[in-house]
Amino acid sequence: MTAYIIRRLLILPVIMIGVTMLIFAMMQFLGPVERSALYIRDFPKTQGQIDAVIRRYGLDDPFLVQYWHWLVGKEDPETGELLGGILRGDLGFSRTGREPVIDLLKRRLPVTAELALVSMLPIVVIGIWLGMQAALHHNEPIDQGARVFAILGYSFPTFVFGLLVLLIFYAKLNWFPPGRLSTQFSLEVTRPGFENYTRFLTLDALLNLRFDIFMDALRHMVLPVVTLSYLSWALLLKVTRSSMLEALRQDYVTTARAKGLSERVVTNRHVRKNALIPVATIAGSTVASLFNGVVITETIFDIPGLGSAAAAAALSLDVMTMLAYALFTAFLFVSVNLLVDVMYAVLDPRVRLG
Amino acid sequence: MTHLLEVRNLETRFFTEEGIVHAVNGITYTLNEGESLGIVGESGSGKSVGVLSVMGLIPNPPGRVTAGEVIYGGRDLLKLTPSEMRRVRGHEIAMVFQDPMTSLNPVLTIGRQMTEAMELHLSIDHETAMKRAAELLSMVGLPNAADRLNDYPHQFSGGQRQRVGIAMALSCNPSILIADEPTTALDVTIQAQIVDLVKRLKEKIGMAVIWITHDLGVVASLVEKVAVMYSGFIVETAPVHELYQNTSHPYTLGLLESLPKVDAKTKQRLIPIQGLPPDLLKEPRHCPFAPRCRYAVDQCWEENPSLKPVAPEHYSACWRWENARQDARQRMMTIGEVA
Repeated sequence: MTAYIIRRLLILPVIMIGVTMLIFAMMQFLGPVERSALYIRDFPKTQGQIDAVIRRYGLDDPFLVQYWHWLVGKEDPETGELLGGILRGDLGFSRTGREPVIDLLKRRLPVTAELALVSMLPIVVIGIWLGMQAALHHNEPIDQGARVFAILGYSFPTFVFGLLVLLIFYAKLNWFPPGRLSTQFSLEVTRPGFENYTRFLTLDALLNLRFDIFMDALRHMVLPVVTLSYLSWALLLKVTRSSMLEALRQDYVTTARAKGLSERVVTNRHVRKNALIPVATIAGSTVASLFNGVVITETIFDIPGLGSAAAAAALSLDVMTMLAYALFTAFLFVSVNLLVDVMYAVLDPRVRLG
Repeated sequence: MTHLLEVRNLETRFFTEEGIVHAVNGITYTLNEGESLGIVGESGSGKSVGVLSVMGLIPNPPGRVTAGEVIYGGRDLLKLTPSEMRRVRGHEIAMVFQDPMTSLNPVLTIGRQMTEAMELHLSIDHETAMKRAAELLSMVGLPNAADRLNDYPHQFSGGQRQRVGIAMALSCNPSILIADEPTTALDVTIQAQIVDLVKRLKEKIGMAVIWITHDLGVVASLVEKVAVMYSGFIVETAPVHELYQNTSHPYTLGLLESLPKVDAKTKQRLIPIQGLPPDLLKEPRHCPFAPRCRYAVDQCWEENPSLKPVAPEHYSACWRWENARQDARQRMMTIGEVA
């Protein structure tokens, strides 16, 4: 098992080189002149400025040289100063954020991560748990209800769903407002006296013993969390249900029953582990896709996270921010896949022992 | 003398969207202590459903035992509560299944799968159960038994897995072992080994055996009596030698004729049974074998024959059993077959 995980980990850098090269290659569709414009804030841009930038950043170097410089940075030919280098954390300047991309990431990532992490709770509870219950009560009301629910979830596009719940639960009922916090608290959390320990608003509120802020933050999270994750509930519900039904039909389940085991033991010991193997695959890609869903969700609910930054960057061709977002999601997908592979090994001895 | 197991008029139906499947249509048989019974029939004849009904393992829905009694230890198993029935399953009556590739759980160790029944029924702790599991595995002929308890099913060959299955079934000293086509999925050489193993264990432990198979040849050396099933009915039942020597049902005769005989004195062409098995969705009103029977007369199409004695302990459900028996004897003389 350990050897298996180490093997998987060793592949990680190889995959990352491939992924970053692909992302970097996309940038190369722009010529040196177009790319130089990303570095010049003046308008109109003069030929002299353009040439200087191309020389300074080596924008007309061969592809691999540029890729290397992009990774580790490049010395300025005049001052000898080291410029760029994503491995050094220099991801360029975000035009839409008006700050270095790395600062933007640091500020906005926790917001998005908090949203995604909280979204996993209903995904596991509603998706996986309800899927299991539906399979165990095949063709009973709970199963029928779950199926209808899954189909509905599938057929609603996120942007329609998001606007719909906003219309109903904010505009009509005023239960769950958009944003991250109510106005009176949003100023308070930026003032001294409120420590940002984790940059997760809910957690920080608890750590500052401000339960009023905690409840307010939770209240603001309800709609975005539901919007972000309902598609994953539906998907996981469907997959869990069908793989449970599949596992329940297997011969070894009859063997287990023939031993006189109770239905509870048969389900918990014999069915569940087998049924979760395909679920692990889907759960992995679901978690990763949450980070794509945030682009729409954060825009709809006005949440200052990574998703809304990416949306803003895309709309105004802010290449540096887009690249950072692409890098981040690529890294996330690769790590989640690694995690899924490890989960396979834990669940399935045929994988673990080859 | 009271029987160890007495199945009376057992009837099992599956209620499907296409209609009611008449899987088992009132079968009756008995099993004495230490006795072995072979249930023979083709796919869909109801032989598996019959024993699964006895075990209370018919999935409901869609299946249900609709009539009959299964008397074991003075109680009707069909009337037990689920928890009472669980104490019988795996403890008093244990089962070995057809496909050893799929009947063991791929994600649990052999040790875990072997000990769970013992811990449940024999109330022993895990350590003791593991020790006993190792003994059982070496009893069924697995080398390095103790080391293999932590292995997973995919690390065993098909034959080895079936040995594990048998060891597992015997772990709680059942008085009846039901083997549901345990050799069908195995190589021929392994088949013989498994049959031998069960025979040996039966002599050693003394449990009664119900051996289900579609192969009349396999059971010949193993069982004392045979019940032949067709379309959910028992059509002929007799002690094994009597059945081979005085075959008294056209279907049993057909099964024998379609069996290759290596030691036959003259070369004999194999004769297949013509036609297809009956549609179980239709309620049987005439003899279910009539459409495929070369002896069929009008009576066979009007009335379904019930089991009638044709010799001591020999029963046949056929209006024209005498004709079938005559042909069976004729055949026996030409090929010099000895059962």
